[in-house]
Amino acid sequence: MQHAVGVLESGLCRYVLISYGHNALSGDSMRRMLMELSGDDAVFGHFGATGGYALAARRAMHEFGTGPETWKKIAVGQRKWANLNPAAMMFGKPMTEADYDKARWVVEPLRLPDNCLITDGGRAIIVTSLERARDLKQPPAVIMGMGQDHPSTAVAQSDWMAGPTGARKAGETALAMAGIRLDEVDACEIYDCFTYTVEITLQDYGFFKPGEGRDWLQGGTIEPGGSMPVNTSGGQLSEAYFMGLTPIAEGAMQIMGRCGKRQLGPETRTKSPEIIMISDNGGILESHSCILLRRW
Amino acid sequence: MSYDKPLPRINADNQAFWEGCRMHELRFQQCKGCGHVRWPPSDRCPRCHCTETRRLISKGIGRVYTFAVYHVAYHPGFAGDLPYTVAVVALDEGPHLLTNIVGCRPEQVVCDMPVEVAWEDVVDRITLPKFRPLSSAEGLG
Amino acid sequence: MTSLLRDKYAVVGVGYTAQGRVPGRTSLSFHLEASANAIKDAGLDKDDVDGFICYRQFPADSNENALTPAMIAQHLGIAPTYISQDAN
Repeated sequence: MQHAVGVLESGLCRYVLISYGHNALSGDSMRRMLMELSGDDAVFGHFGATGGYALAARRAMHEFGTGPETWKKIAVGQRKWANLNPAAMMFGKPMTEADYDKARWVVEPLRLPDNCLITDGGRAIIVTSLERARDLKQPPAVIMGMGQDHPSTAVAQSDWMAGPTGARKAGETALAMAGIRLDEVDACEIYDCFTYTVEITLQDYGFFKPGEGRDWLQGGTIEPGGSMPVNTSGGQLSEAYFMGLTPIAEGAMQIMGRCGKRQLGPETRTKSPEIIMISDNGGILESHSCILLRRW
Repeated sequence: MSYDKPLPRINADNQAFWEGCRMHELRFQQCKGCGHVRWPPSDRCPRCHCTETRRLISKGIGRVYTFAVYHVAYHPGFAGDLPYTVAVVALDEGPHLLTNIVGCRPEQVVCDMPVEVAWEDVVDRITLPKFRPLSSAEGLG
Repeated sequence: MTSLLRDKYAVVGVGYTAQGRVPGRTSLSFHLEASANAIKDAGLDKDDVDGFICYRQFPADSNENALTPAMIAQHLGIAPTYISQDAN
């Protein structure tokens, strides 16, 4: 997104298309991907993102006392949103905390519902100037702030996997650019490759202090009817995985008011969204990007 | 039975490390400019960009910085090992090494647990540095 | 980035595709469906699109060519003035 804005601002382009597509579920690329991305870690049987985030999540358990009791609130909360979204892969498949507790380990301490989905499909967005947006069909989801931070260290060598991650600086940068405080944010669309990613991102953004996520999540904070809705399509855990375009597209659609039964506002007993905070991650917490979208 | 797990891909940067493993020595590059002990090996120091190094041989003792217990075999070679423990060991000399914890059950592993290197000669010319619980508390830096 | 950029740009279109388990399709086909739908959603013509950024891509299937932004642009019938593959 910052890239798109850069080329628009430089005058190189007027309308930028950003696209993603992958036949990840039905195709044969996933296993090869695991091997290609694992490098020599594969020598020790360490593969892919689940293992990497499991290392980070375990260190976080040790440093600030998080764990499955926190993560299941995220998994269950997002599943409730997915059940308001007919396009979500987990639509019609409700999940209770007891279901979470019974789910099998993938790479401990992460269970199956801590992992994002593997999806066939694609997603794309168009970015242009607000000036040009006035003549177009949809109400614009205006980019209010952006920030990135790239710690750029493999998880095995990182000593900040329990935070602060790149989300801290990226979030502060985006809020400063927008000229707003965190408490002016109405909802979040957080890159949720794993439940722990959601916790550490919200924590580093400043929604709660280290280890206080479990209390903050009590009482359905992020769910329909909650005070800070998170991942309102079901997210990558329960809707579909399209890299950063899962959260960005949902944030834009919520701002545009086009989300049907899951629309923030009276429909879901939540605040009508004026400002939504959106995140994207690269690698295993190596790279972070934050965007603030607003209604116009 | 032949070894059916992935093997390290030796290149110009990591050759000295894997040759050291064959001799049961954990060899790291220590920067001659600033003294930083770096891992993974590379052409220049990420702190000061100095290209001169001296060889530092680790005592092979450290602590479990973090760990993960695999319940799924992403590669058929690991199917018989499930559940197995992947860990990051913070060596006393500084480097964080991705490895396996052996010699104890996964549920006995905890963060900050002291460990020592346990060499595993897997095939001719390749020896892997794995780690096991430290036999005594002595030797901890 | 400075605050001069605040409120200057916007997302104006979103493109969806069939999603979930959708067998018998290439990754390229999902790019094309999502992109065409986003262009339509914004109320634009494909020839309006003069910038194309393709998200970072996982490896393609063994029976499919590696995806590049130029290949996707070709199949969309667009010739952007700026093209890139991006990480974030």
